[in-house]
Amino acid sequence: MKYVLKKILSCIITLFIVSLLVFVAFALIPGDPALSRLGTNATEATLAAMRHQMGLDRPLAVRYLSWLADALRGDFGTSYSYSMTVSSMILDKLPITLTLMLFSMILMVVIGVPLGVYASYKEGTVIDRIIQIINQINMAIPPFFSGILITLIFGVTLKMFTPGGFVSINRDPLGFFAYMFFPSLSVALPKCAMILNLLYSSLNGEKKKDYVRTAYSRGNTSNAVFFGHMLKNASIPTVTFLGMALADMIAGSIIVEQVFGIPGLGRILLTSIQNRDYPVVIAIIMLIAMIVIVTNLLVDVLYKVIDPRVGNQ
Amino acid sequence: MAEKLLHVEDLNIEFHDHLTPETVVFDFDLDMEEGEIVGLVGESGSGKSMSALAIAGLLSRHDMKKRGSIVFEGKEILNCPRNELRELQGDEICMVFQEPLTSLDPVKKIGWQVEESLKIHTQLTPEERKARALEALKEVELEDPQRVYDSYPHELSGGMRQRVMIAAAMVGNPKLLIADEPTTALDVTVQSQIVELLKKINREKKTAILFISHDLSLVRQLCQRVLVMKHGYVVEAGSSEQIFNNPKEEYTKKLIAAIPKCKETGDDIEVGEKLVDIKDVCVSFTKRKGRATEKVNVLKHITMHINSQEIVGLVGESGCGKSTLAKSIIGLIKTDQGSIINQESRTQMIFQDPYGSLNPSKTVQFIMEEPLKNLTKMTKEERAALSREMICKVGLSEEYLTRYPSELSGGQRQRVCIAASLMLKPKLIIADEPVSALDVTIQAEVLKLMNELHQELGLSFLFISHDLRVVHQMCDRILVMKNGEIVEEGDREQIYNNPQHEYTKELLKSAGLL
Repeated sequence: MKYVLKKILSCIITLFIVSLLVFVAFALIPGDPALSRLGTNATEATLAAMRHQMGLDRPLAVRYLSWLADALRGDFGTSYSYSMTVSSMILDKLPITLTLMLFSMILMVVIGVPLGVYASYKEGTVIDRIIQIINQINMAIPPFFSGILITLIFGVTLKMFTPGGFVSINRDPLGFFAYMFFPSLSVALPKCAMILNLLYSSLNGEKKKDYVRTAYSRGNTSNAVFFGHMLKNASIPTVTFLGMALADMIAGSIIVEQVFGIPGLGRILLTSIQNRDYPVVIAIIMLIAMIVIVTNLLVDVLYKVIDPRVGNQ
Repeated sequence: MAEKLLHVEDLNIEFHDHLTPETVVFDFDLDMEEGEIVGLVGESGSGKSMSALAIAGLLSRHDMKKRGSIVFEGKEILNCPRNELRELQGDEICMVFQEPLTSLDPVKKIGWQVEESLKIHTQLTPEERKARALEALKEVELEDPQRVYDSYPHELSGGMRQRVMIAAAMVGNPKLLIADEPTTALDVTVQSQIVELLKKINREKKTAILFISHDLSLVRQLCQRVLVMKHGYVVEAGSSEQIFNNPKEEYTKKLIAAIPKCKETGDDIEVGEKLVDIKDVCVSFTKRKGRATEKVNVLKHITMHINSQEIVGLVGESGCGKSTLAKSIIGLIKTDQGSIINQESRTQMIFQDPYGSLNPSKTVQFIMEEPLKNLTKMTKEERAALSREMICKVGLSEEYLTRYPSELSGGQRQRVCIAASLMLKPKLIIADEPVSALDVTIQAEVLKLMNELHQELGLSFLFISHDLRVVHQMCDRILVMKNGEIVEEGDREQIYNNPQHEYTKELLKSAGLL
C-alpha cells in the first residue's frame, strides 16, 4: 500500500514538471496567438490590445501560476479560435480517442500474446518460422501505412466499412464500434509484432534457466512447465513493455485519426497547434501525459504483483 | 542377492549439434544399492553432470543420443517415453542442483514449490500437502518452517535455499537423490552443514544418494564409494578408502594431490616495511527500509597492515566485509572514520570470476595494455613489449595476446587477469577469491603461479578466500573476519595449530582441519 502511495506522489510531481515544461516550451517557440487570431492585416495597436486581452503581456511566471491555479480547479481556459471552454472541447472528443486506444491495446494483447506464446511453444518448427517471417514484415510497417492498407483492403475492396464514414456513438453505437475496429487494428499491428517478439524471446530465454530443469525433475509435463512456470516469469518484461507501448500508441493514433477521418483528440491537437491555440494544446498534452503516467503507475503495481522481488529489499 | 536400486551399463552420450557427433560420456557403468552414498568426482567437462542428468531422465534434447542401459528398480528407463519417465521423476528419483537461487522459480512461493511434486504424484488434499511440506521443511532443519513456507526464494539465504531444494526433493520420500554439486555455491561452514544434512537423510530415510562434486574433501566425508571421471570416461572406481588412500590411476593421484594441503611453501622471504597501514577504519552503508533508513556497519574499527613482500590471508564468510575492506584499501569506498595509508598507488585487483571480469569483445593484448594507456605515457612499442614479457611470466605464450577471452579456458583467463594486474608493476595485488571459480587442478596451478610471482618479483598479496586450505598453503599471516570485525589475527602456525576465537575454530572444523 505504501508502495502505491509513494508511486502516486511521484506521479503528481511528474505532472507538475510536465506542465511547467510544456508552458515554457510554448512560450519559447516562435508564433503569436494574437497574430494568428487577427490575421496578418492587423495593426500593431490592435495586436497589442488583443495580447492584453488574452493576458499574453503578463510575465511568463504569472501566466503559469494563474494557469496552474485555474487548472487545479478543473478550468483549462477558453479556446482562442473557438469560443468554447477547453474542457468541453476535449470532453467531447476524448471518448473517441480513448475508445481507439483501448481497442488498440486490447487488440495488441489479444493478437500479440497468444502468437508469441504459440511461436515459442513451437520453437524451431515450420509454424514458428512462418510466424516469425510475417512478424518481421508487420514490424516494419508504420501505423499510418497499415491504416492505408487496411482502408484499401477492408474498406475499398472488401467493403467491410466505408472509408471516411465515421459515425458518432450517439447516433449509432454499433456502427461506431464497428468503424473503430479498423483504425484500432492499424495502430495495434506494429505493436503486436513487438510484443510477440518480446514474449517469444523472453520465453525462449526462460527455457534455458535452472528452475525449468528443476520443474522437469519433479515430473511436470512439458505443458505444466511451460504454462505453470515459464509464462509468469516471461511476462515480466512484457508488462513493462505495455506501459511504454501506450505512449507510442497515442502518437500513432493521432496520425491514424487523420487517415481514417476520425474527429478525435488528434485532429483538434493538430489544428490547435497550427492556430497557436495554446490553451487547447497544453490541456491535451497534459491529458496525454496523465494517461501515460497513470498507465505506467498501473504497470508498476502490476509488476509488483507478478514479481515478488520488486520493491522490497 | 537383492535387486539393485540402480544399474547403469555402457551408457554413452553423444551430441549431434555439430557436423561430427561429439561423445561426452563413454561406457559409463554404475551400480547403486538402496541406501548407498556414491560420489562422482571429476573436473568440469568430465561428463559427471551429463551422466547424472541422464539417470534423472533430464537429457531429452533432440540433438543428443544416448546408448546403453539405465535400469531403475528393474525397469529400463533410458530412452523410455517421457510420460513413463515422469512417473519416477520427483517421486522415486529426485534432484538437487548446484545453484539454489536460480534453480527455484523466482515468482512462486517456497511452499508451492515444495508441494509441487506431491501435487503431481499424489492424491493428497491441499491440507495434507501443506502438512507434508511443513514437515519436510522441518526435517531439513529450517527454523520457523511456516515463515519459510510463505517466503519467496529471494528472501532466503543461500544455505536456506539449498535446504529448501533438499526439502522439495525429499517431500515425496524418493529412493534415489541425485545431488549435482549441491555445495559448490555455498559458504564453507554452510557446505559442511549441507553435507551433514545429507548424511542424516541417508541414515534416517535410507535414501540412496548420488553425490556429484569436484570437492574431494567433501566426497571423502560423505561417500562410501567413489567414481572418478575424466574426459567422459570413468577412470577409477572403488570404495572411498581405496580411492583416497591407495589411488591407482595417475589422474586420481593428481586430483588428490591438488587438494590444497597444509604444508610449508618454499622459502619465506624477509618481509619489508609496512605497505598498507589501516587504523581504526569504519565503513557503513545506509539501507532503506520503508520510510526509515537503517545504518549497516560493514567494517567495524578495522586495524591491520600489510608489509611489503608479504602474503596476508583474509578469511571469512560471504557478507563479512572482506571485499569492502579490499575496496577501501584501493580507495573505491569512502570510510566513515579511521585512516588508510596505502604506499602503493598502483595497487591492482584480481577478481573471482575470470569469465565475467574480462571484456569479451577485446583481445588479451588490449585488456593487458589498457591500464598503461590510461596511466602512463608509454609508446605503443613499449606497451607491446611489456605485454609480451608479462604474458610469458604467467606461463602463456605470445600467441595468446591476439586471442579473445572466449577462446581461453578458465585457468588461462585467470592467468590473463594476473598478467594484466602486473602491467603497472605494482608492489601489492589484492586477490579476491582468485581461485574459487576454478577446478581443483587448475586451482593448484594458479596458486603455484602466484607463489612464483611473489618470490620472483617480491610482490605483496592480500589474499581473500573462504577456503582455509588454500589460505594455509599461500599465506604467511592470516586475518579472520566476522561481521565486519577482525576476530583473530596471527601467523599461519598460530591460527591453524592454536586458534583462539570460537569462530576460527568453527571455520577450521568445517574445513576438516581441526
